[in-house]
Amino acid sequence: MLMAFGLLSAAQVVEITFWTAPNPSQEVFWRQMAEAYMAINPNVKIVVSPMPEVPTSEAGILAAIAARTPPTASENIFIGFGEQLARSKAIVPWNTLPGWDNLVQNRAMNQTIEGWKFADGNYYIIPLYVNAMLIGWRLDILRELGYSQPPRTYSEVLAVGEVVKAKYPGKFVWLRSELEVPTWWQRWFDFFVFYYAASQGKALITGREITADDQAAIGVLQFFKTLRDRKFLITEPLATGFELGRTVMTVLGPWTFPWWRENYPELVYGQTFVVTPPPVPDAYPAEKPVFTFADAKGVVLYAQATPAQRQAMWEFIQWVFSNPAHDLKWIEITGMLPARDDVGTNALFTSYIQEKEPALLPYAQNIPYALPPFAHPEFVEIQELMGLECIYPVLVGELTPARGWDAWKRAIRPLLVK
Amino acid sequence: MSRARLVKGFVLYAVAIVVLLLMISPYLYMLLQSLAPWREVDRVLFPSTYGWRSYEWLLGGGVGALPRPWLRAWANSALVASVVTFSRVALGAVVGYALAVLAFRGRRLIQNFILFHMFYPGIILLIPAFLLIRSLGLYDTYWAMILPGLVSTWAIFMYANFFRSLPREVIEAARMDGAGELRIIFQIMVPIARPVTAIVFLFLFMERWVELLWDMIVIRDPSKQTLNVLLTTMFGPYGGYPGPLYAAGVLLTFPILILFLIFSRRFVKGVSLVIST
Amino acid sequence: MNWKKDVGGWLLASPYVLAATVFFLIPLGWSLSLVFYDWNLIDPVRQFVGLENFRTAFTTSRVLYAFVNTYKYAAIFVPSVVVAALVLALIVQHLPRLKQFFAVGFFLPYLASGVAVGLVVRGILSYDSPFNEFLRATFGSSPRWLRDPTLALVVISAMIVWKFAGYYALIFLAGLQGIPRELYEAACLDGAGPFVQFRRITLPLLYPAFYTVLVLAVGLCFGIFTEPYVLTGGGPRFATHTWQLEIYYQAFDRYRAGYGATVAVLNAVATFVSVLIIRRVVEAWGVRRGFR
Repeated sequence: MLMAFGLLSAAQVVEITFWTAPNPSQEVFWRQMAEAYMAINPNVKIVVSPMPEVPTSEAGILAAIAARTPPTASENIFIGFGEQLARSKAIVPWNTLPGWDNLVQNRAMNQTIEGWKFADGNYYIIPLYVNAMLIGWRLDILRELGYSQPPRTYSEVLAVGEVVKAKYPGKFVWLRSELEVPTWWQRWFDFFVFYYAASQGKALITGREITADDQAAIGVLQFFKTLRDRKFLITEPLATGFELGRTVMTVLGPWTFPWWRENYPELVYGQTFVVTPPPVPDAYPAEKPVFTFADAKGVVLYAQATPAQRQAMWEFIQWVFSNPAHDLKWIEITGMLPARDDVGTNALFTSYIQEKEPALLPYAQNIPYALPPFAHPEFVEIQELMGLECIYPVLVGELTPARGWDAWKRAIRPLLVK
Repeated sequence: MSRARLVKGFVLYAVAIVVLLLMISPYLYMLLQSLAPWREVDRVLFPSTYGWRSYEWLLGGGVGALPRPWLRAWANSALVASVVTFSRVALGAVVGYALAVLAFRGRRLIQNFILFHMFYPGIILLIPAFLLIRSLGLYDTYWAMILPGLVSTWAIFMYANFFRSLPREVIEAARMDGAGELRIIFQIMVPIARPVTAIVFLFLFMERWVELLWDMIVIRDPSKQTLNVLLTTMFGPYGGYPGPLYAAGVLLTFPILILFLIFSRRFVKGVSLVIST
Repeated sequence: MNWKKDVGGWLLASPYVLAATVFFLIPLGWSLSLVFYDWNLIDPVRQFVGLENFRTAFTTSRVLYAFVNTYKYAAIFVPSVVVAALVLALIVQHLPRLKQFFAVGFFLPYLASGVAVGLVVRGILSYDSPFNEFLRATFGSSPRWLRDPTLALVVISAMIVWKFAGYYALIFLAGLQGIPRELYEAACLDGAGPFVQFRRITLPLLYPAFYTVLVLAVGLCFGIFTEPYVLTGGGPRFATHTWQLEIYYQAFDRYRAGYGATVAVLNAVATFVSVLIIRRVVEAWGVRRGFR
């Protein structure tokens, strides 16, 4: 019987679908992987397509599940959304599949994977990449203003601001037009970056409790407010800021570099710009490592797929992640760093980075200090409320930073106990 | 006296031209920016040089970017809008004729129901209609964009009003010939109703062409997305490419403008006719 | 004979009956039934919650913002669009030639997609746009257009005025053309100036056009979506939030199907009541002034 089944499935082509992030270079990577795999496994047909954004990719996935037409697997899932999918039994834990331990071993993820354990003890997401969010500085402008290196603390940033404004009243330190917009995921690229730096990576929410470092959070809010009050921070939309030297600082993810190469080839790492960890409070010891937020996402397997599809997908995934050469290819194509323990130490990766994209070096080095988002199924509302109840009122001066922070905590408490 | 009139006429035309420029300025801005060098987009009103780079990038794909299916999306929009509009016009004429001309039991009921339907806010039905499409197995198909829009209460309403305003004799004479009702509708009534058809067709075509929310929700396959949806999704990850965004805006808007200008002679006549009835 | 007529009538009306049943009545019934549930569309379990969704809707600020903002939009949009449309119609009416050319030109904004216009407005209002550079060079500073609660509301209202003024102008134009010339000539003989003529003749005889435009414009305010969606996301902090944005956020960002349906029902009620009130008010005003 089993034999017969095996023969049958060998004769039939299994069609599986894989959704990539709506980012062209990620789509290119997965297409190449699928083609290479299909060349040696003719009985599997892998359809690769970018996931729909309705208007976010998360909403697109929920719509597909509701319509009973999800893919077999997809990337681009972060842990908070994974938690929501897992609670609705829409995804399958990878660690229940045979060969999971081997995969973790082969991809050098022993350490990394610990940050991806769900509340029920399972692993529903295979982390694909970790983008530490770092700060880019216009070194050319800083040098012109008499600085040899970027500022490290809040006071130093504010001091740079005074100098910038004195010489160029039309320039700003930082352009962050989204800071006054409540869209939930924008908080990943402003508040979380500075908060993790100030708090040494203290979790905002653990399970159903708020475990934030209040002092650090209030300090960040005060810093934002001071920047804005002194007109160092511009929150209005600007066609181009950092690239044209209208601002000197920017929160920078590694996905920006290919875009710069196409449009702003004059931006050269080490000459026109450098990359550092986020600024910290003045009292923060200089020798201590600085934490930051990590935009980190991974691959999930959907429960609505048939057992044959799941099996075929699992084999494909194992094939992709068991070969470091594939992770190197990932870096080459997407410019982002794979979620491996050894990306900063393995010569395969470091030599490539040093030679081809030195700007990625700080990203590789900071992976140990880059923390993924918190895992709570109400992440959308929790992060939306942070903009609405806290950041916006603080910026416009309706609430003091301390009161704004309390307002957010009050607002999210009913959501946490749900 | 005549001098004063001349001055008055001159002032009037000057005002009219200024207002007209104001009304079409966003279109001009869009066109200029789509042809501007990328570094000048949104930063100068009149670019230093003009070029096709934004269009080439959009249609061919740039470095590190896959080409998006723009032409395909354009064709999708045209297909869906054409099918839906033709159906709405034809069925609008048929149902409008039935309600205006034929005296049958239940006519009042249907008429009142149409008014209720017209004034009921459509968004309330977004979620359940989505679930319905899903349960019919139409999710992510062209049918999902086409079927719910095949009949328009507004088109029925317009045609019924127009037919009611016609002299009875025209219809009676046609019916004396013993022609079937469908033949009467399409061979006699629709030709008479040309101004109405012109404006109904235009309004409905445009309404379908710029539809956003529904198409966003029921379509996930990029090869079936309409132009408007594709343009909207570009706001996120491609926000850094304003030039191509303007090019996409031109591709979205200008076909409608041209279609409208072709029809415009009949249009104003149609509007005043329809409104006065 | 009679039943044959009935069958014929229903047969010709059947496309509508069918479409309305499938795509209007069924979803309507479904929507009304979801109102009592808490469901995220993918969970196997639908939780019955009774009237909890209504209680939430009445006690959270999001819905209140949508409710109040609609009247703020109406307060800015309705008077502006009526005046703008009337001015456009009067210009066209008084032009000796090229009436049609200008009427068509003024109507063109109605053809714009909200998304494309959103793009243009975002570009024109961005901090380093030529427009804002000019304002700063001339006045020393530029307004925080979309970041200021009042201005953002004004900008979005202005976009909608721009879009609809030419359309409503056609309605006024049709009304203006229906006014007999002799009335003006007679008034002229009586020595009435242009303003008196406008007030005594034009305005009263335009009453049906006013009625149509007012009802259309007020109803429109309950359906605002695309402009704030692409420009402000409803912000700054709900200053430009609308019913449609709220329904969209609940149903399609947070996937709360039952709660979204509840907000939609409230939207429907608010629309009906408001349009009904404005109709009554305009009718009463018309009757009192002897316009109808």
